[in-house]
Amino acid sequence: MSWLSDKFSNTLFGESSKESPSWQWFYRLGSPRWFYQRSGQWLPWLSLAALLVLATGLVWGLAFAPEDAKQGNSFRIIYIHVPAAFLAQSGYFIMAIAGAIGLIWKMKISYMVMKAAAPIGAVLTFIALFTGAVWGKPTWGAYWVWDARITSMLILLFLYAGVMALQYAYHSVDAASKASAILALVGTVNIPIINKSVDWWYTLHQPATIKLTSAPSMHMDMFMPLLVMIVGFYLFYAVALILHTRNEILRRERKTSWVRELVTAKAGG
Amino acid sequence: MYFESFEALLHMNGHGVYVWSSLAVTLAAMLWLVIAPLFKQRALLQEVNRDIQRQQDRERAAKTASLSDSHEESN
Repeated sequence: MSWLSDKFSNTLFGESSKESPSWQWFYRLGSPRWFYQRSGQWLPWLSLAALLVLATGLVWGLAFAPEDAKQGNSFRIIYIHVPAAFLAQSGYFIMAIAGAIGLIWKMKISYMVMKAAAPIGAVLTFIALFTGAVWGKPTWGAYWVWDARITSMLILLFLYAGVMALQYAYHSVDAASKASAILALVGTVNIPIINKSVDWWYTLHQPATIKLTSAPSMHMDMFMPLLVMIVGFYLFYAVALILHTRNEILRRERKTSWVRELVTAKAGG
Repeated sequence: MYFESFEALLHMNGHGVYVWSSLAVTLAAMLWLVIAPLFKQRALLQEVNRDIQRQQDRERAAKTASLSDSHEESN
């Protein structure tokens, strides 16, 4: 009978379905060991790129871009405020999608990515809120107002904090990962609210500077450095996410032979 | 450069304090995001190294203990 079931499974899944090149990357990516080794090779280049792009964008935006006709030089805060807010939201999607992949395919690495994304997102949300408050003082006359955009960003910070807290609320790593993933997924409802808050409600916060569907509402001389800064923040995010994920891999796989071999090889050489 | 002098860049017509304090806090937070995991990684690798050392010590102790046992038996 076994030859029959073998034949059946072969016709159904193909003899070498796991080795087929189109899926190979997916299985490899699921291996913490493969990710740890590969990401170690990417890190120096990614870090260098992030540093160069961020430095270019900062100098360009802070020293060379023209000042805003209404807001004066305080508008230059946009070059850190908008990229940080952008990545705080993109990072939330990355965290929620990683959680979903973990729930659906039980991929170990994706839960680690989810856990790593939470503190990074929280810090970026904090940066967006802080720079927004400092920008608000000369522009609106107040550090803080309870308008829809700012309040929904504060909720984003609490969602990140919730995902982080849930990681430590369970004894079992698996239960903690599942609970965090569910919270992350439910919280995604907040992202469109943040995006649309400036259109749905009357807010003190200005409307979006960049929209995918229309031309930017600012002059090219001001817009180009902002674009550079957003690219720089994405690169920085990649570096930070890889660093935090690698630590999570080490923490969870510290008893495995490959981590031990890694350490002895390092100590010997 | 958009500004006439370095002082003008620092002052930004009175907005300098807002812009530069925003930048300082942002850079500090971003640096912390990449430096803290590097220290953490070193601590984790050291922990694994200690585990390996401890295991090796235990194995060595067990080996010498069994050797001395067999020595006593032969006497």
